[in-house]
Amino acid sequence: MNIRWIALRIIQEIVRDKRTLALLFVVPIVVMTLIYYALATDEIAKVSVVSRGTARLFDSEIINVLENDDDVELVAIDIPDEETDPDILVELIKKELIAGHVDGVLYMDEQLLLDRFSDKRGTIHIFVEGSKPIITSSVFAAISSAMDDLAAGLPVVIDSSCSAFCADSVNNKTMDMEKHLIYGSDEYRLIDFFLPVFPTFFVFFFTFIISTISFQRERLRGTLERLQAAPIRFYEIVGGYVFGFFIFVTLQSIIIESYIMVLIEFEFSIQQFVSYSVVVILTMLVSLMLGLMASFLAANEFQAIQFIPLFILPQIFLSDMIWSIDSFPKVFKYISYAFPLTYSNKVARDVMIRNKPLIDSWFSLLVLVGFILLILTVMTIIANRKLRKSD
Amino acid sequence: MANNVVEVVGSNNSILDIENLTKVFGKLTAVDDLSLSIPSKTIFGLLGPNGAGKTTLIRMIAGLVHPTKGKIRLFGNLPPESLKARGQIGYMPQDISIYPGLSVLENIYFFGRIYGLEKEKLIRNAEEALEFVELSAKRNTQVSELSGGMVRRVSLATALVHKPKFLVLDEPTAGVDPLLRLKIWTLLEELASEGTSILITTHHISEARECGNVVFMRNGSLIDQGAPQSIMDKYSASDLESAFVKATEERGNSV
Repeated sequence: MNIRWIALRIIQEIVRDKRTLALLFVVPIVVMTLIYYALATDEIAKVSVVSRGTARLFDSEIINVLENDDDVELVAIDIPDEETDPDILVELIKKELIAGHVDGVLYMDEQLLLDRFSDKRGTIHIFVEGSKPIITSSVFAAISSAMDDLAAGLPVVIDSSCSAFCADSVNNKTMDMEKHLIYGSDEYRLIDFFLPVFPTFFVFFFTFIISTISFQRERLRGTLERLQAAPIRFYEIVGGYVFGFFIFVTLQSIIIESYIMVLIEFEFSIQQFVSYSVVVILTMLVSLMLGLMASFLAANEFQAIQFIPLFILPQIFLSDMIWSIDSFPKVFKYISYAFPLTYSNKVARDVMIRNKPLIDSWFSLLVLVGFILLILTVMTIIANRKLRKSD
Repeated sequence: MANNVVEVVGSNNSILDIENLTKVFGKLTAVDDLSLSIPSKTIFGLLGPNGAGKTTLIRMIAGLVHPTKGKIRLFGNLPPESLKARGQIGYMPQDISIYPGLSVLENIYFFGRIYGLEKEKLIRNAEEALEFVELSAKRNTQVSELSGGMVRRVSLATALVHKPKFLVLDEPTAGVDPLLRLKIWTLLEELASEGTSILITTHHISEARECGNVVFMRNGSLIDQGAPQSIMDKYSASDLESAFVKATEERGNSV
């Protein structure tokens, strides 16, 4: 098969091109590290405690625990001590949060102690602004660990649903936490949410750039013409590109996945690793086909570069990668169905976060395969027209 | 692959037969009802100024462009699109079309493999091609580090490595210094004497006196053809260029 010779040539060329190698292997690592630190930054959250009635009994202990927590800073907020109406208090707390005077407020009311004395867990309320997931999660983390410390010293709550075996656990002593977010939702764990989609995005992005440009060069320097004059078929040329890139993308995805494991100590099962690689490779194939198609549409290298933002940017915004598609007007959601990354990201999250078997994502995978075939067909038609017409 | 199996010999021992060939691009008729036969084992020159339609004709012969009308047959009866025909042609386009990131030898190997050469034959032919273009010493040099003249010789070697029966060269001497031009012509004569049929286009009309036969082409049509000496005699010209000018003038008057 001639495919292997074209693949070999692509490998030889890429191996010798240090910049391309860096783009494939070094840039993703650097960018991921930056993103990781940007997201995992230890920003200190400002926290305040508001308690009324008998709940004031817990104040000193909680404040003591929170003061020893490096991730939060206790601040005072402007709420009059004599105000006891819960509705007004909540309104005042929200106002303070929106004004940015504080990032999180622990609110405990009269009911808390009453509940504890009637064998209930009791409920504490945590108010956060919610738009900054890093802050939100550090508020929750600090307060819940403070509550664990506090609860350890409290009498055990007898819960009828709990067997004797669990009666002693800290869990059984803690109060229920009710989280109030002014914006957003508390299921939003940033690093979990982003992590799986960056590798698929990198693969998509870099494969697109490299394939667009290298095929464009193949055309411009006339070597494509020589291949066409040679006794090989068009599919062998495309096949050669697929195989050549396949090797680099496989390497790239192994490096990125391994790096994730090291960087954030994310543990993959073998099944996850393999499933995720399937997603990454399918994404690479879609991107490769798009890149080859773009290079046929482009008349020169500059036009080829213009295709990069055109094909990539909308997908960054609308593929559910960073911003939830639900936060856009409905019409964008329909547009997002036309983007391959929408499906890659969905499968990536299902596999990595939700730990679902790959087969559960059969529909998205099928769509990705459909994209590959569709783009391949369109590309072949465009290629035949462009190549036969040009003089 | 059909790299070295030629047993088909066309009518009148010609390697290429073209009948009533026309190619129209939009409003431009690049090749206009052209008929031509090219005998095998000679150097055949396709001469004419820029824009005469030479490259379009060559690209149709190489199977890269479909004719609007007419017929092209290679090696007797093969259409240019057929893999069998393509395997027996060595095509060197006007632009340098090799891979700058690969070494001289890697380029030659790549094209040899694409034309289906097996290992031993590939190595043997590549060595011969290297020697032929006198680049054996540069075999492992990356093409991007070579001079323009050397790059052109590598390009020629990649078109030769599968030992084509029919070598199609589009302006191999364009922008080439006189010494290398002479060298290229010497190489082509050597190939022709070994039995390769060669079709070459050039707008340096005078240098084509080395060809066995030439045709003059202008505005997509043939204006005259024959052996260089007989054409020069016909127009009582001292070189091919003035013969071309006279042929154009005569033709211009008669149209």
